[in-house]
Amino acid sequence: MSLNSGDGMVKIAAKSLILLVGTLASASLSAGEVLSFNRDVRPILSDRCFACHGPDSGKREADLRLDRRENAIASAIIPGDPESSELIHRIRSSDAEKMMPPADSHKLRLTDEQVAVMERWIKEGARYEPHWSFIPPRRSAVPESSGIDARDPIDAYIGFRQTERGIGFHREADPGTLARRISFDLVGLPPEPFEVDRFERSERPDRLERWADELLGSPAFGERLTSYWFDLVRFADTVGYHGDQEHAISPYRDYVLDALNANMPFDQFTREQLAGDLLPKASVDQKIATAYNRVLQTSHEGGVQPKEYLLKYAADRVRNLSSVWLGLTMGCAECHDHKFDDLTQKDFYQLAAFFADIEEKGDFAGAGNVTPTRRDPEIVVLSRTDREMISQKNDQFDALQSRLTQLLGAFASNDWSELSKKNGEILELRRRMVHLHEEIVRVSKNKTRVMVTASRARRPVRILSRGDWMDESGPMVEPAIPAAFRSMKDPLGSDGTRLDLANWLSSPTNPLTSRVLVNRLWYLFYGAGLAKNLEDVGSQGDRPTHPELLDALSLDLMESGWDIKGIIRRLVNSTTYRQSSLPTKEAIRIDPNNELWTRQGRSRRPAEMIRDAALATSGLLVREIGGRSVRPYQPAGYYAHLNFPQRQYVEDTGPYLFRRSIYTHWQRQYLHPMLKAFDAPSREECTAQRQPSNTPAASLVLLNDPEFVEAARFFGLRVIREGPANDAQRLAWMVRQAFGRSFDEDELTLLIEYVARNRASFREELESARKLVRIGRAPSPADIDDVEWATWTAVARVLFNLDEMITRY
Amino acid sequence: MNDRVSAQTRRTFLASSGLGLGMTALGTLLAREGRAGTFSPSDIGGTLAALHHAPKAKRVIFLYMSGGPSHLETFDYKPKLASMDGQPMPDSFTAGQPIAQLQGQELKVLGPRFKFKRCGQSGQEIADILPYTQKMADEICIVRSMHTTQINHDPAHTVMNTGTSISGRPSMGSWINYGLGSECDNLPGFVVMTSIAGRNPQPIASRQWHSGFLPGKYQGVEFRSPGDPIHFVKNPDGITDERQRDLVETVKQLDEIRQRSLRNPEIQTRIAQYELAFRMQTSVPELMDFSGEPKNVLDLYGVEKPDGSFAANCLMARRLAERGVRFIQLYHRDWDHHGDLVHYMNICGKATDRPAWALVNDLKNRGMLNDTLVIWGGEFGRTPMFQGKGKDPGRDHHIQGFSIWMAGGGLKPGITYGGTDELGYKAVEKPVHVHDLHATILHQLGIDHERLTYRYQGRDFRLTDVEGNVVEEIIG
Repeated sequence: MSLNSGDGMVKIAAKSLILLVGTLASASLSAGEVLSFNRDVRPILSDRCFACHGPDSGKREADLRLDRRENAIASAIIPGDPESSELIHRIRSSDAEKMMPPADSHKLRLTDEQVAVMERWIKEGARYEPHWSFIPPRRSAVPESSGIDARDPIDAYIGFRQTERGIGFHREADPGTLARRISFDLVGLPPEPFEVDRFERSERPDRLERWADELLGSPAFGERLTSYWFDLVRFADTVGYHGDQEHAISPYRDYVLDALNANMPFDQFTREQLAGDLLPKASVDQKIATAYNRVLQTSHEGGVQPKEYLLKYAADRVRNLSSVWLGLTMGCAECHDHKFDDLTQKDFYQLAAFFADIEEKGDFAGAGNVTPTRRDPEIVVLSRTDREMISQKNDQFDALQSRLTQLLGAFASNDWSELSKKNGEILELRRRMVHLHEEIVRVSKNKTRVMVTASRARRPVRILSRGDWMDESGPMVEPAIPAAFRSMKDPLGSDGTRLDLANWLSSPTNPLTSRVLVNRLWYLFYGAGLAKNLEDVGSQGDRPTHPELLDALSLDLMESGWDIKGIIRRLVNSTTYRQSSLPTKEAIRIDPNNELWTRQGRSRRPAEMIRDAALATSGLLVREIGGRSVRPYQPAGYYAHLNFPQRQYVEDTGPYLFRRSIYTHWQRQYLHPMLKAFDAPSREECTAQRQPSNTPAASLVLLNDPEFVEAARFFGLRVIREGPANDAQRLAWMVRQAFGRSFDEDELTLLIEYVARNRASFREELESARKLVRIGRAPSPADIDDVEWATWTAVARVLFNLDEMITRY
Repeated sequence: MNDRVSAQTRRTFLASSGLGLGMTALGTLLAREGRAGTFSPSDIGGTLAALHHAPKAKRVIFLYMSGGPSHLETFDYKPKLASMDGQPMPDSFTAGQPIAQLQGQELKVLGPRFKFKRCGQSGQEIADILPYTQKMADEICIVRSMHTTQINHDPAHTVMNTGTSISGRPSMGSWINYGLGSECDNLPGFVVMTSIAGRNPQPIASRQWHSGFLPGKYQGVEFRSPGDPIHFVKNPDGITDERQRDLVETVKQLDEIRQRSLRNPEIQTRIAQYELAFRMQTSVPELMDFSGEPKNVLDLYGVEKPDGSFAANCLMARRLAERGVRFIQLYHRDWDHHGDLVHYMNICGKATDRPAWALVNDLKNRGMLNDTLVIWGGEFGRTPMFQGKGKDPGRDHHIQGFSIWMAGGGLKPGITYGGTDELGYKAVEKPVHVHDLHATILHQLGIDHERLTYRYQGRDFRLTDVEGNVVEEIIG
């Protein structure tokens, strides 16, 4: 079939009609269409009925369970006969005694359409399907396409559905926008102007692919992805509860950075973090990886009851594990069976039992009210770069030593003339060896502590009624994966270790891990998930817009050996990715919520990218990779409410002030105000999707935070030193540097007048110009005229406050 | 007809802009539309289309006595405790109960350290440590049967503010602003201030005023004093108000030009936020300036300027309330009296007793106590048992029974509600859980606590989780 679309002719020939079924998540059901339980019926049952008639055995009313067919048809539903089905009578009824959902549930009544769906479903036999994410992904035929601009099977899936709805791919974004998009998406930084030039001028058909590969190979890629991983695993520098003391964690950041940059397969990445200590001959890095199990929130308050807190920590780990790898919300099952998904309280405690071997004694040792606190077991490690440097220097030392030994051999032979000739070289060798020795000693001192996982005899785990840690009447449980997944081939060993758990997470029979990961990567590069709710792919989550595509990508990821960079490369090279984000009238009409992916997503950039972009544009950014957490500027007194011990924030100095935000000290109770204003999470719990806000607090950061003012004055300095001479040209240079574009005439006129006003005003008040260009600690050159500098600083402040600074297009 | 359309557009814009119209502006707007008197939260950025019932209160001031003041030395007089002073605590009370710092120690009864008095017409029993509170006995409603679930400070604070000890849930001030919107066009709808004086202060985490999974615009903003009350509220050095205005105006014009080609509705919202930020920059210094307050008012509180004291914060709270701030929370952080209880309670009493009285009176004098709910209380109470951390006796954390008081906001004045057992251990008469307190606060604001929900991770969350009963008997 071939169809026209508003944005140029897009043709697609699709033979795979099977795709028609079960994909129109938001469309209403037409008479001829096959009804799908998962698409049409489950959302209604889940949202309106399951809370009282679902998986939770504790709260089940009238002993009626509607999430399982055998129970439902035993009373409420008579397949084929809606008129005789009690369920239909109840949802139609307006009798306060009979109606469902009942008034006191505060649940919305079913709409007429929803009632009709239920009637039709029962009429057609009340067939159930397992929830989509609980069954393994299935491979479907890629919609065959011709004439469509399909660079990747992704485009075939997306294009097919678009064509079906009478619309096609949007035009490709203009090169400047695309260049900025892919650069921020892959490395979290704006492109260098020369990169934009090169990209715009290139006529190679594979210019985007080539640049994507370059970016994927850059160490900054690891920094970008680590930032997201840290939101998931709730990485922070402090313990979170009560005194919120620092704990030893920085080497774990280096581990994640290195692993992601080296494209470590995700299954291995999973194994090392959950169970690196259990791997045979565990390397130092594999031990560091297990800091994952220790980076949860802990309390060091006097008077904590170990038993209560062991439960809190167990529950925290189960919540995080289920959010990060399974995309399920298991927190509620600490106290009762899940209300919507087939997950029981027993499942919760069985998952908790996997972690019951983790040595926690150190957390209760009473380190005293000191920060950093001690949370043994900890190990003392050198960073990977330091380890490599020492080994390199040892090799050099050995080489010099053997040369020296050779020379000194001359002493033995009493060949004095030879020796005196070599005297200079001997001295030089000794000097270099002393230097190497000193370097090795110096670098060896860089050792840092890091919390790790050590295994001990497993603590007994029992099911706690209502999650009450003092109730010891519940049955004991052993480690096991949730029962809903146990019918599949179970790779668990007999003793159920963390390693077994990790192996199950990445086993081909686990239906969730790969889907959840692919869905979140899709979100990072398209602005929204294929399944919109990134935190819950359970019954109350959203069905994917393109289930076959999500399944195909999930299978591809697993079959590629969990090649993360490989899947990202595909995501950012597709035609779908390249589309403009500008909504056309037609797209808004046909696809108002962008569920057909007829345009790129627009979103507020994460806090870290906003700060890093300002620093990069100003030239202040320090691009060293890895290392300890750093403390950039922060308003004085911000930690006044921390105690045990009282805290004084000591700002870093020199280059440490200007490192990327992934290194910024993450105080769970008092997150850095800039990060907080731009919605970075406290990292107390897993965050798969930050909620962007638009508040005066964020405006005040860009307007007045000394960090941004300082970045502006250095950007101003750059245009004076590196830019052209006249005002209009300087403005053009700055917008090219900052946003990779040019100003139009209106913008230019406005800014030329702004420059003139500021120049005149600063000339009249020299003192204020002098003050402005001395904000921040970066050393100021003496040879710059304060008025000019202040004027261009004022312009830079305007640019840093524009919408383009914070929005992804 | 045209007017209606434009009013709708205006409201939509206001709703999306994070902070609503000011009182006056709203009054004008509603009067113009002929609907004055029917307050609709969605008009000013709240989520509720209409209130669930007629409200008694419009705002809340929570005087948060952080650390856990002893109910046994303030509002819960137990003669039996005095007669058993020094004797072993009967096992029947403590067996199988959670215990904090007294774990593994011998448990002895500690009699009340202060005398109590029957006060006012109502004859409410209040300890001598709080002489000013004694004077307003007829204004306050004392609840002596509070109980909570967490025995350590941090999680207990989290329960008091969010209804659960699990991190990441919205605090009550955020819920209230989410439901009702803000009546204030140049200040946040939820403001927090803190003070210290007394024993080594307990830490307090910003989690306690966080918006959790609710949008960030509903989170509490901490006003600090002395110093810059809000982060980055001052212009950078060398930037005059005129230059700042010029900058904001230029940014706005440039964003509008880009908007022509980008068609991103967020840009419009953002422009509004810059306007608000700029207004905040000018309104905050005025707010922090007490020089316009008459001498008798300053004397009432016993303050001269914003100096970070609880007294100054109380006066600030009244000024914020006047300007339409919806939820104001003042933490006094030194009520954790494991030892030297008499000494430290005297300090805390001096710091907080008179200002709380001054605030209630000041509100009353201005006719604002009717629609302002004032709450005094901490995250838990203290054990009837002795703790020996210090030179003189103290008490450990206690969650089974403790006291708070409330005033104004449509509650019955001059009554005492509920009670603990004869040793002040467990709330036995009409127990009030934190969830019940939350349900009651929301009720006074015109909100049914079961119907203010937010869907997150597939579930409709609310402040009271699946619990909470409105304490009907204390409602006037």
